Amino acid sequence: MLDPNNLDWKALGFTAGLEVHHQLQTDRKLFCNCTTNLLSTVNTKPDYTFVRYFRAVLGEMGDYDAGMLVEYEKKYQVIYHSYDHLCTYEMDETPPFWPNMKAIEHGFDLAFLFNCSAFVDELQVNRKQYLDGSITTGFQRTMTVARDGYVPLSNGKKVRIPNILVEEDAARKVKTENDGRTVYYNLDRLGVPLVEIITNNEDIETPQELQETAYLIGLGLRTTGIGKRGLGTVRQDVNISIRGGDRVELKGVQDLRKFEEICAREVVRQHALIEITQELKNRSTPDEKRTPFIFVDLTHLFEELVEGEKRVLGIKLPNFNGLIGKEIQPGKDLGIDMIEKAELITGLDKRLMAHSDELQDEAIRKKGTNIPELILSLNTTNDAEIRTILDMSEKDAYVLALGPQERAIHALNKIQGRAFAAYDGVPQETRRVTKDLNSEFLRVIHGKDRIYPDTDTPPIMVEPELIEKLAAKKRTAPWSMVNCLGKKGFSLEEIGLIIRDDRISTFHELVVAGFEPRKIFSLIIEVVRNLSRKNILAESLTVDDFKAVLALEKEGKIGYSFIAKLLEYYLSGSHENFVAYWKENEEKVINETDWKPIIEEIVRSIPEELVEKTTNQKVGWIFSQFNTQTSFKFYNNNEVANTIRGLLQE
Amino acid sequence: MNDYTPPDGYRGALLERLVKEGLRTWSVVRATKGNAVFEGILLPRSAHTDDRILNLKTQDTYYNIGILIDDNVKLEEIGYREGHYKVPDVEAEYKKELPDVTLLGTGGTVASRLDYRTGAVLPAFTPQELFSAVPELMDMVNLSPKILYQILSENFTPEYWVQTAKAVAKEIEGGADGVIIGHGTDTMGISSAYLSFALKNLPVPVVFVGSQRSSDRPSSDGPYNIMNAASLAGYGDLAEVVVCMHGTTSDNYNLIHRGTRVRKMHSSRRDAFRTISDIPLGKIDLDQNITFFKNDVAPRQKGREDFILDAKYDDRVAMLYSHPGMHVDMLHGVLDKGYHGVIIIGTGLAHVGSNMYEPLERAQEMEIPVVMVVQPMFGYAQLRVYETGREMLARGAIEGGNMLPETAFAKLIWTLGHTKEIEEVKKMMQTPYAHEITQSEPNRGYSFFQGIEPGIDNFYERM
Repeated sequence: MLDPNNLDWKALGFTAGLEVHHQLQTDRKLFCNCTTNLLSTVNTKPDYTFVRYFRAVLGEMGDYDAGMLVEYEKKYQVIYHSYDHLCTYEMDETPPFWPNMKAIEHGFDLAFLFNCSAFVDELQVNRKQYLDGSITTGFQRTMTVARDGYVPLSNGKKVRIPNILVEEDAARKVKTENDGRTVYYNLDRLGVPLVEIITNNEDIETPQELQETAYLIGLGLRTTGIGKRGLGTVRQDVNISIRGGDRVELKGVQDLRKFEEICAREVVRQHALIEITQELKNRSTPDEKRTPFIFVDLTHLFEELVEGEKRVLGIKLPNFNGLIGKEIQPGKDLGIDMIEKAELITGLDKRLMAHSDELQDEAIRKKGTNIPELILSLNTTNDAEIRTILDMSEKDAYVLALGPQERAIHALNKIQGRAFAAYDGVPQETRRVTKDLNSEFLRVIHGKDRIYPDTDTPPIMVEPELIEKLAAKKRTAPWSMVNCLGKKGFSLEEIGLIIRDDRISTFHELVVAGFEPRKIFSLIIEVVRNLSRKNILAESLTVDDFKAVLALEKEGKIGYSFIAKLLEYYLSGSHENFVAYWKENEEKVINETDWKPIIEEIVRSIPEELVEKTTNQKVGWIFSQFNTQTSFKFYNNNEVANTIRGLLQE
Repeated sequence: MNDYTPPDGYRGALLERLVKEGLRTWSVVRATKGNAVFEGILLPRSAHTDDRILNLKTQDTYYNIGILIDDNVKLEEIGYREGHYKVPDVEAEYKKELPDVTLLGTGGTVASRLDYRTGAVLPAFTPQELFSAVPELMDMVNLSPKILYQILSENFTPEYWVQTAKAVAKEIEGGADGVIIGHGTDTMGISSAYLSFALKNLPVPVVFVGSQRSSDRPSSDGPYNIMNAASLAGYGDLAEVVVCMHGTTSDNYNLIHRGTRVRKMHSSRRDAFRTISDIPLGKIDLDQNITFFKNDVAPRQKGREDFILDAKYDDRVAMLYSHPGMHVDMLHGVLDKGYHGVIIIGTGLAHVGSNMYEPLERAQEMEIPVVMVVQPMFGYAQLRVYETGREMLARGAIEGGNMLPETAFAKLIWTLGHTKEIEEVKKMMQTPYAHEITQSEPNRGYSFFQGIEPGIDNFYERM
């Protein structure tokens, strides 16, 4: 396995693409009139529930989508949690209402922002199949609004955006039960308008470019006010491939800072799979690989583990000895990856499956504390017997599954299928990023055949006036904003903080008002964060509050270092705004004639241990003494500081 | 290009342009419009849409988009990619131990699929297609799907009722253990009412089924409805005409409704079908367990010698919806045009405004039966309670009991096929043949919840 911390991205032929799904700021859902506000928690007790099952249907070109057939194989029972504030549209009991035109307008607005050259004249609603239950109809209603845009990166590269779509969001998963076969969804989010921005899969060549692209797209959505704000309003999927590998979609990649690690682990995985393919080819003859394997009952060798109707079945994987135990991501071997896939599709717990390389002491799953019993029960004796029964040569491996016969066969079937696929390199998969930033199989990558037209909504002619209006609109592109902030000396990380705290428009307004950018940053990000940490509700501070407080500082009425304290006083009261508070308390400003004697007194009483310290440290100590003695008094910081320094010099 | 066919659905200048450029359905087209370039597969266009728009399925995503084509747009064919819309075939093998069930397709959403390109309903499911879409059926019954017609349910005229009844009779005489009729849901309850009268002394179940979500949707209720209908037709100890549709919004059980007592009570919900003024006959769950709630269910018969096809009809029947301010010429018009019978859906206990006494008298003189049923859907027509009713009775109005309006309509068509003699018509209309008039109405027959009843929260949580 390659070292994920030391990769030559260019040499490996790394390319990536991004799919950003961002909720749009609208007051109603895309196809019904329900609110877009979500419940405070996904676990809210439902007002009513209902149960559904889903089936794959044909695409418009006359084919079942391969991904959809695997989804159907999972045989999910879906239980919906719904609420009295939702309607029968979310239940799939009423046809769609006329689409939310504001959401569509937002889509076109973004198309301008991201430099699209091709605008769709007539929107056609399409259905994109999902059989996991996340959408009650079994398909997402979605429409292309524009094509052929791009995002310019700081290194001069243009990352192409082939498509911008407006679509409905899916339901939120609550939990799963019954080995993952029963899935619960909360319907509150279903139908919230989303924009999907897709970048070309070949344009991004380093994790840094990926990060910057995601960052700029997110920035565009937030600074324009088009994107909805708050937790969970944005979801990103990343498509990754390396030379000789294939497109793998990683779902749930939220934190930009983790992009590099996630990319690294996927690159390592694809590289390892390519190596395995090569070795399999070396070991096999061309006609050997597709011979179906036979499932053999090995229950008699594991009697202490088996109860009731359960069986232990085994399957031989020719040529996989040593390969199935090969590490493909840190802490994960090929066998575990196959077993996870079988678990997801069939519901057989991964702890009830084991592979022959796990007999070895250094096997990955033997390193943990909670080693599956099936692995522990493998020993040289039963291993030898299994090898005899399965008629294995030294280059072969086997996989065992413990469970009800039908489910065990189903699981081994999936493992066999995955083993066949290993001869062809990296399978196209959609994978879920796990906590350790590895990934596990989620589904076969969804193909084009799951898309077909929605006959419930007639085509929507786009009014030329709307496009003209949007074309005339002034926009600040996110990349020029970053460029501008960069010139003012802010790092990407600092810009990120401004974005994350949704303070970009505040920041912009304060800069325009003539305040110093550094001071603004410190106030609206650092001071606010510090106050919040003390559980003071600093989020209620408005642009006008910030303006007023910065103006006082600029006029020299208060010192910069006093701002945090002052805001703390203000926020703990019940004044309408900061200006009102200041009016009431302005008189508490004390003048030089009042404070000078106090300072002189403190300076005289400097303790021995401070005499040796620097001037700044002395000033700091004097200030803190002074603040204690003049509690709840305002004074001119600069004057006080200058006086202290003068006195110290004397 | 000898076999060139212009793409479907295009009209006017754009059609001329497409023909000129030799562009066909499935052509891969590049449309260049200033800086914008669109590439995609040319698809047909459905009717009643803007005639300047070209439908393209984009090559990278397979999403469909519409592009306005004017003289400034350059069009060129850059390829050709034909689609074949076909469910993969699955061969079902005949299993001796399974019951023989016939599925008669009449159109509607359970036995058809939509052609997305044109919005049209595609020709029938072959057995292979049906088994491919719902493979579970193969292990349940020996199902023989037969296509009677492909019509929408609103076009299911009395003539089709008769043809359907005859087709069912043929299957029964041919030894079927049960018959399923795939039917559009809008008027399913009317067809089921007519067949309830036309098929006498049934030996086996006749099950109407459809879907409220079309079968081109992954969430369709069609697959479970057809499985339940097949099971009911093949195994149910029942010999009546029934409707078998979702009992709740969940995919958890179907209700079995008598053909004369069932009504579509919601325009789109899965559980739209309700038995009115009674509880349903029974239910069938996902494991195909059948439970009957009524104790007067006609059981399955071994012999078929008593079975009679009585599919007579006279479709010169009008149906009027009474309302305050209704003009007398509504009924006069019906009489003038030579209709043989009238159903009036009267207000409350089945009343009409007193201005209607005059045309009622005329109908009486002409010996045209006027059958009164109730607008509230639940409850009986009672013309003896109020003065208005008594005035109406005196003018020959016939009380329709607690017949549903559509059931009364189907029954009058059937009755007039037997006799036009007014007293005989009256007698037949007031004699229950298939539970269309019940002797009494149980309290639970009016389970019309408002969502605020004590305890109903628990009910909804577990729905």
